[in-house]
Amino acid sequence: MAALLEVKGLTTQFFTQDGVVHAVNGISYHLNEGETIAIVGESGSGKSVGVMSLLRLIPQPPGKIVAGEVWFQGRDLMQISDDEIRQIRGKHIAMIFQDPMTSLNPVLTIGFQLMEPLQLHLGMDKNQARKRAIELLEMVGIPGAATRLDAYPHQFSGGMRQRVMIAMGLACNPQVLIADEPTTALDVTIQAQIVELVKSLKEQIGMAIIWITHDLGVVAGLAERVLVMYAGQIVEEAEVHELYSDPHHPYTIGLLRSVPRLDMGKSKRLIPIEGLPPDLIDYPKGCPFAPRCEYRTEKCEQEDPPIEQISPTRRVACWHWETVVADIREKGGVYA
Amino acid sequence: MLQFVIRRIIWTIPVLFLVTFFTFALVRAIPGGPFDFAGDKSLPPTVVKNLEAKYHLNDPLWQQFCSYLIGDAVCRPGKQNGVASKGVLLGDLGPSFRYRGRTVNDIIATALPISAQLGFMAVMLGMLIGIPAGIIAALKHNTPIDYTATFIAVLGVSISNVVLGPFLIWIFALKLGWFPVATWAAEPLFSNIAEKYIAAGEQVPMWVNLIPKPTKEFFMHAVLPVVTLGTALSASLARLTRGSLLQVIREDYIRTARAKGLRERAVIVTHALKNSLIPVVTILGPMFAGVLTGTFVVEQIFAIPGLGRHFVTSVGNRDYPVVLGTTLVYAVAIVIANMLVDITYAWLDPRVRLE
Repeated sequence: MAALLEVKGLTTQFFTQDGVVHAVNGISYHLNEGETIAIVGESGSGKSVGVMSLLRLIPQPPGKIVAGEVWFQGRDLMQISDDEIRQIRGKHIAMIFQDPMTSLNPVLTIGFQLMEPLQLHLGMDKNQARKRAIELLEMVGIPGAATRLDAYPHQFSGGMRQRVMIAMGLACNPQVLIADEPTTALDVTIQAQIVELVKSLKEQIGMAIIWITHDLGVVAGLAERVLVMYAGQIVEEAEVHELYSDPHHPYTIGLLRSVPRLDMGKSKRLIPIEGLPPDLIDYPKGCPFAPRCEYRTEKCEQEDPPIEQISPTRRVACWHWETVVADIREKGGVYA
Repeated sequence: MLQFVIRRIIWTIPVLFLVTFFTFALVRAIPGGPFDFAGDKSLPPTVVKNLEAKYHLNDPLWQQFCSYLIGDAVCRPGKQNGVASKGVLLGDLGPSFRYRGRTVNDIIATALPISAQLGFMAVMLGMLIGIPAGIIAALKHNTPIDYTATFIAVLGVSISNVVLGPFLIWIFALKLGWFPVATWAAEPLFSNIAEKYIAAGEQVPMWVNLIPKPTKEFFMHAVLPVVTLGTALSASLARLTRGSLLQVIREDYIRTARAKGLRERAVIVTHALKNSLIPVVTILGPMFAGVLTGTFVVEQIFAIPGLGRHFVTSVGNRDYPVVLGTTLVYAVAIVIANMLVDITYAWLDPRVRLE
């Protein structure tokens, strides 16, 4: 089966006064119909820019998609006209963002903002759109939907606003929903509610999801496949259980070690990854993770490892992944 | 809404009282008096004494202030020699010390409509040019169009009216002869009403003078002063609009609007403009109030008999009632303008509620 969305060698750079920021460096992945994938990585690893580039939503200038293809429904989204990409945005591929407090327009009613994509993409008139908007608000669990339509964003709590954003994203029944850290700005109980909501909506609607997060805990309950990003590259891809039980890339191991776990007991200290991510303007020649990696060799500092398909479901970008895997197994796990 | 307006009007009472009080106190704190002329023009001491007595300048200050506010009948019972004032509360701003035989009400009723006509047209011109120019500059951010617009705006802000006015006169009035050099040519639109008042020997009401007959003569005279005044206004409005829109365009909700698949024009018009006009409206209020009540420099250059010069000359003349009268007019204009700004805010931004 052909993938719903196929990304090949996507490269996005920002041309600033200080130099060229290598935000996304030739990432490739695919998304199947109805599948949920997660993209994880720390701040500045290019997760957001990577997905915003799919819809050409990065500010240009200073940003520029310098290379890559994004195939969707037989078309390369990087090559089609501005009018054509607008037909895709919101209708076939929808996006929800990190901060619901600032992502809704403060001077327009919730109803207006919700009805906009319906009128634009589905050609609904005002009454039809209003009816559908009420259904959408009910679908995302906003009580008193009919009366809330005329309210303004500031009259909603953060969690409720994110529900509105989700309703807006799903308005036209898109095939793909891109969720750019939708729970990061919310408190923990609301985070769980939003994750549950998206899971249940996915069962109803069946859209594929790209979920961006730096929270590995959220990933475990949500995604089927995980891409790990570091310094604008995908360094590891695996099915979610494989990634947790048997990580191959030293960076993934570092990430797992730095997540607190309830079953580990209080005595166990978290192990942070030493050092800092590389400067994306002065991009390193070798493996970008090498300076922080305990397995590094001279080769790592000279040559950037390409991402390698090592099994039907796994890819890893590390010269020494076999050594790493053997070492972890010998020690008896990531946390040993 | 109505409640808000009423509450604001009630609040203006203490504001205007304090403005009156401080202006009254300050203008009298300036050394010298209205009848001290130096050199040849100085009046004989007896004349000065009589004039001072006529205008009650020797009474205790509190009595003068009281009389200014609520009239001679209350504050000076039985002592109404000379000119009797009904007090500011009844709309009587008193006599001018300098222009004998004219009341401050006369002066304002004649001069304020002219200033208001000039100021209104100048602000309209400023908005018509400044706001669209700012929007275009923001949308074409960091392109030659933006640089050109910004350059002209900086020029417009920096070039003083003192320079621009005579320069425009020199080119368009003297060299090209397209427009008259100076003066104002407004006739009231309702000339029959005005004539009725003149025939009866009464002061023509201000609103009659305010509405001009749209004659060619009127507009030809208006072009140069309006352009002079409007240029600076449009320049600062353009800079403000540009900056504000640039900031709004970077907001997350603009990205959301784009992610919905809206056309760029819909993104700007529906999602960005309303937000970006909020700071512009803020500055428009005081701008209107300031320009409508008269601008000294432009009126002086173009020999326009507006209220602007009275603001300045009355202080030098120690013409206390004119100083107080013009200041009050300005204060009322500011109060009204700010109230309109607040009402516009509530319309632009749902987070601002007037209750």
